[in-house]
Amino acid sequence: MSRKKALLTLLITLAIAWGSIGAMLLAGWAPKLGLDLQGGFAVVLVGPEGTDPDTLDTAVEIMRRRIEELGSVQEPEISVQGERSIVVQLPGVDDRERALEAVGTTGEMSFRPVLDLVLESPALTDPEGDHPDNLDLVTGLSDPDDVHATIAYLPSEDGAFVYIVGPAFLTGSDMKGGRAQFSGTGGLGGAGGWVVVPEFTDEGGEKFRLATGSLATYPVGAPQRRLAIVVDGVVGSAPEVAAGVSPDEGLDPNQVVITIGSSENPQAESEDLAAILNYGALPTTFERERVESVSASLGADSLKAGLIAGLLGLALVTIYMIIYYRVLGVIAMVGLTVFGSLLIGAIILLGEFQGTTLTLAGVTGIIVSIGITLDSYIVYFERVKEEFHSGRPLRPSIDHAYPGAFSTILKGDTVTFLAAVLLWLLAVGPVKGFALTLGIATIVDVFVSYYYTRPGTWLVAHSALGEGGWFSIRGAMGKSSQPSIPAESVEVTS
Amino acid sequence: MSVLTKMYRGETHFDFVGISKKTLIVSAALVVLSLVMLLVRPLNLSIDFTGGVIVTVENEAGADITVVRSSLDDIGQAGARVQLTGDGLILIQTEALDAASQDELVLTSAAVAGTDVNAVTIDAVGPTFGAEVTQAAIQALVVFLIVVALFITWRFEWKMALSALAALAHDLIITGGIFALFGFVVTPATVIAILTILGYSLYDTVVVFDKVNENVELMHDQYTYTEIVNTSMNQVLMRSINTSMTSLIPVGSLLFVGSFALGAHTLREFAMALFIGIALGTYSSIFVAAPLLAMWKEREPDWIAERKRVARRRGGSMSAVTAATVPTKVETVPDAPTAPTGASGAAARAPRKRKKRR
Repeated sequence: MSRKKALLTLLITLAIAWGSIGAMLLAGWAPKLGLDLQGGFAVVLVGPEGTDPDTLDTAVEIMRRRIEELGSVQEPEISVQGERSIVVQLPGVDDRERALEAVGTTGEMSFRPVLDLVLESPALTDPEGDHPDNLDLVTGLSDPDDVHATIAYLPSEDGAFVYIVGPAFLTGSDMKGGRAQFSGTGGLGGAGGWVVVPEFTDEGGEKFRLATGSLATYPVGAPQRRLAIVVDGVVGSAPEVAAGVSPDEGLDPNQVVITIGSSENPQAESEDLAAILNYGALPTTFERERVESVSASLGADSLKAGLIAGLLGLALVTIYMIIYYRVLGVIAMVGLTVFGSLLIGAIILLGEFQGTTLTLAGVTGIIVSIGITLDSYIVYFERVKEEFHSGRPLRPSIDHAYPGAFSTILKGDTVTFLAAVLLWLLAVGPVKGFALTLGIATIVDVFVSYYYTRPGTWLVAHSALGEGGWFSIRGAMGKSSQPSIPAESVEVTS
Repeated sequence: MSVLTKMYRGETHFDFVGISKKTLIVSAALVVLSLVMLLVRPLNLSIDFTGGVIVTVENEAGADITVVRSSLDDIGQAGARVQLTGDGLILIQTEALDAASQDELVLTSAAVAGTDVNAVTIDAVGPTFGAEVTQAAIQALVVFLIVVALFITWRFEWKMALSALAALAHDLIITGGIFALFGFVVTPATVIAILTILGYSLYDTVVVFDKVNENVELMHDQYTYTEIVNTSMNQVLMRSINTSMTSLIPVGSLLFVGSFALGAHTLREFAMALFIGIALGTYSSIFVAAPLLAMWKEREPDWIAERKRVARRRGGSMSAVTAATVPTKVETVPDAPTAPTGASGAAARAPRKRKKRR
């Protein structure tokens, strides 16, 4: 290794490590914190044995839409886990009730008659009037909604209108599901368009026939001719019973299509509605298997504890390494900043592009990896000492020790990396976060050892700190009472 | 030279295999005690495995324990475990509850603690989920052990694999025994810690075995297997100690600062298992894995023959060449076995050619 090459390698490594983390921090990127560190809410929902994967996917979609409506959630993570579980993670959510509602297992769907359509709740426009008694004081809307209430004030999905609705004709248990499809003859004016085809149970179909028959007694265009499809207290859609339907017969439940009116994206809207019908059709299948809610202050405490413990550990380790290894200890500690920059950088990048969050288990993984990376230095430095004590001069010892040390480091990191991969593949929940940081750490460690430690140590050995006094590398080797005797005698005999 | 100076310079000649005859008895006793402990006092599994509900809330109202209990009685949770921590938290643990009872519990605990409902931390786990987590953990452990055994057999040999696994079992059982003894809670984090311990312990053992193999190549003509193992362990001693120190210091600060001083309870069991495990892992790779291997290999015909030959050459009876006497001898021979690795193999070159033995 030449001085120029060593210096160049070292500078490039430092530039990559410190430069990239500096750039990320300047750009305002930081690791995305998991809900155990910033507070939040997590639920695991489990479907019955043998749940269809499509059903799980549909449920995930519906929950995602509902959660997005919550607004305050930063990065909801909703995913299918294993055969029949859904994991919902809502970091930063502090409104427990609404979050639970969003992923609610009771997602109740009902078909209700529209009594009137107004712009603002009558409870607000006419405070003295006669109103249902379960109203929210601020919004004037029914909350909680009771599907069997004789009268309820419910918002439209976009919040622009308030529907005054009657008791439910049908509920989710009357539905089998629904599907969105493009109909050549459907749509407004028969011009073709997206429609939703609901499917009823036998009993539900009969209820539907009676319901639409009673609505058909109202004139076309009247609000009372509309059928509100209500999901969790919000009117998702309120189609009007088509002209020409006989009040005596009602609509044939097997031939019903719900036409999507003027909309910017009729396909999405019809799929939403179909999803709602489908979800309403599985009202009791999901069990709340696990609920975890971490208050923001507890999360902050954990983060603080992790950070303080990490910093204190670092400080103590620094003292230990420098007393023991002198200038080599300094090399190791500077190397730790290179290692740390790369590791944190990788976590930030994963957070930005994959949405991976840093959890408490991840933080402990980082703390554990401090030991792993320092071991690489120790393995190398001990080899150098061994070479030196066998009689080799200092600089050749440093060169000669590296290949053997690197082989050991590589072996060790491979074992740890394999363990991390296994953990990642087999484990669930927090263990995954730990496995991730551990796995990244082993890769970074090999990189740092080759591109930082080797040139760095070489340069120091060829500087004044190589042979000069207590603090130098020579000083860290310990005084040799009989320098170079064993090896030289060996050299002679061979 | 003081022992410390010798250690610093890597010139120690501790007779690890000799000492280990005694330490193995201690280890075996600890393993048996731990097994008894585990039978008598089963592990305190967290709700993640058993299912259950834990509610944590800051006790702003300063409610005392009888108040909390009575309000829990009112909602039919008389069986709940209630704990008031030193740092002003109320911890309530119940069996697995349905969604409605969970909500009720949250409302009640918020009321009794005088906080907002959203400041309540709840962790509720259903029984099936816990069973799945347990199953996944056991599965991970078994696969890990099999892969490791295959890896060591492939890289080294099967006797080393079994010795390493024996050391792992030693670490695991004693860690389990300590957890059972003190009633520490076993959480998924503890399981992570245990898997990490396995990694550490194994890595340590692999480093020792790596050195043993290297030295067998260099020294097999003049030294018994036991002596080679002893030499190898003396050579890696400082690495083992330093690595353990630099691993234990951050974990120790996590344990003491993170969990005791700042009250981050989630960290405590994890750091505890790591701390005990890393210390045990270092110990077992030196005092369990390597001595077991040495004793086992000494029973191989080749190494018995070697032992006899060495004894003859040194002019003593076989018993005189026990490991304990060798180190002092070694210091007086010019081509000491502490040197061979550094001398690129020259030191241990055989005076007469013999076929290489594994």
